[in-house]
Amino acid sequence: MIDLLPHIINGLTLGLLFALIALGFTLIVGVMEVINLAHGSLFAIGAYFALTVIGGGWFAGTPFGAWWLSLPLGLRYVLALAIGPALAGLAGMLLELCLRATYGKPPLYGLLLTFGAALVIEELIRLVWGTGEQNLALPQAINGAFLLNDMIFSTYRFFAAGFSIAAILAVWLFLERTSAGAVIKAGAHDSEMVRALGYDLARLRLLVFGFGAALAGLAGVVMVPIWGLRPHVGVDIVIPAFLIIVIGGVGSFWGAVIAALLVGLAMGITGAYAAAWATMSMYLLLIAVLGFRSRGLLGRKSALEN
Amino acid sequence: MISLSDIPARPSAWITLPMIVLAILLLATPWLLPAVGLYQYLGIEIAIWVAFALGFNLLFGYTGLHSFGHGAYLGIGAYAFGLFQQHVAVSLWGGLLAAVLAAGIAGALVGAFLSHRRGIYYALLTIGFGQIFWFLAMKLHRVTGGEDGLLGIPRPPLTLGPWQVALTDNRALFYFAAALLMIVVVLCWRLANSPFGRVLQAIRQNETRARVVGYEVWRFKWAVFTLSTMLAGLAGSLLAMAQQSAYPDVMSLHQSGLVVMMVLVGGGLVSFWGPLLGVVFYFVARDVLGGLTETWLLWYGLIFMAMVMLRPEGLAGMLHGLARRNPPLKTTAAPAPATEAA
Repeated sequence: MIDLLPHIINGLTLGLLFALIALGFTLIVGVMEVINLAHGSLFAIGAYFALTVIGGGWFAGTPFGAWWLSLPLGLRYVLALAIGPALAGLAGMLLELCLRATYGKPPLYGLLLTFGAALVIEELIRLVWGTGEQNLALPQAINGAFLLNDMIFSTYRFFAAGFSIAAILAVWLFLERTSAGAVIKAGAHDSEMVRALGYDLARLRLLVFGFGAALAGLAGVVMVPIWGLRPHVGVDIVIPAFLIIVIGGVGSFWGAVIAALLVGLAMGITGAYAAAWATMSMYLLLIAVLGFRSRGLLGRKSALEN
Repeated sequence: MISLSDIPARPSAWITLPMIVLAILLLATPWLLPAVGLYQYLGIEIAIWVAFALGFNLLFGYTGLHSFGHGAYLGIGAYAFGLFQQHVAVSLWGGLLAAVLAAGIAGALVGAFLSHRRGIYYALLTIGFGQIFWFLAMKLHRVTGGEDGLLGIPRPPLTLGPWQVALTDNRALFYFAAALLMIVVVLCWRLANSPFGRVLQAIRQNETRARVVGYEVWRFKWAVFTLSTMLAGLAGSLLAMAQQSAYPDVMSLHQSGLVVMMVLVGGGLVSFWGPLLGVVFYFVARDVLGGLTETWLLWYGLIFMAMVMLRPEGLAGMLHGLARRNPPLKTTAAPAPATEAA
């Protein structure tokens, strides 16, 4: 009999990370009704820029690079946590400008456009950062492992999980407790009314998309030490992200969080018995949930069904 | 924007002029390809993908159901063909039948699950199922060879009664693939312009209305999904013969997205022949852009994005647009269904 507790804990921490990835995704789906297949690529952009900020990248050989690399790793890591998501957010805004051509058309066109964008971003990453597997250097303070009740846990996993909880709460508070959040939610509900009240809907959408993309980039920086960094990481990560959205119910904030925890748990427990099949468990979960609830756990009817 | 139902069809015709042109082109291809500096194998690739894309477009363009996991059925066809050759008998017809049946059965099961879904949920579930098949192909090492794939699939000879033709030569295989392609073309054309095809288009325009009119919509959605997976299986068996192997690669999300891109770029949403244009454009782009730059996929991706933004009706739509602009002034009112489709 395998001791399940560490696998459950690992599954839950993984689930929290999945929730962090799905957060930006669900925001964009909820407000814009765009299934952003490039979400994983924005995740990758955040992570790759973080790699350059931490490791120097192309400017490592220059005098500036030598000075830069003499800065403490902790400082560079914190900077990476800010710069990676910021650049991913900018990329997301650029994508939103392209998406404008598809508004008012069936949701398929948004899906197709973002699929093309994912392909383009992946190729750009190959061009700039090469095709090999890379690693993000971590500061000493959050690296390593610790013992808890005779079980070894990775410190970084717990740091990342805590980070995810903080981010989830921050986004929730922003949506529920600020007037900007109220406008965003209203925009998802009735865009005509929001426009009539004098809000600039185009700017709202640009900002929401940029914010969602920045969250994807943030998830990239935080998750990549666990998940690994390679050019096609975008496709690898967008699949669990959108499975989580569907399981949770498209557009539902808490649905996505619950689904992410479920997927993490399923993968953790499957990993205990048949590690090679862990990924499969999330597809089975998807089919099981959608077999009973066609709109996912907490989903409501939306325009995406047309 | 024009749509498939705006283009006049002659439902009674089994053979149309474009088909004859295509047949002549296919006959001439083995001479044409070397003449423009290309190679025989390209012809086989194009024939395979056109057959796949035409079947896919029955679902995508005609019925408006967006499958993003169709590569799975291409792969299932390829594996089924290979496994049949290796474990049952070295037989061309047996292999083709096995491929069509295996992909069709998988498609029928998945289709039964999908057919009650609409819109984005449909698309997302097709990705989910496609990933499951891809995952199985990767993990079932004993059957599929895992990531290495199924190697050493023979090209069995073509037997027609007393006749026997070896297909080991790429030119012979091309003619065989072209002959199958012509059958697929006629079949798809007849189907698209039959009452069945009209119901499919009604579902695309307004599923609720089609249901209210009295059609059991899910049966049609199921039938067209299964049919398109069977054609994908057929294309997969040709792929297995062409490559003499089968890889999980074709089942990945990337490759499944590729056929969507081909069909859309070609104009499958507005034309029966759109998928053919899209497939040819893709392979020509691959060989021409690929000859110029390592990152040809980047450029193809950008072309695709521009198409979605500016010309979602694709190459075929642009051609139709040109043809419409040229004739002398004729006030053609938009057909009635088109205004309601939006």
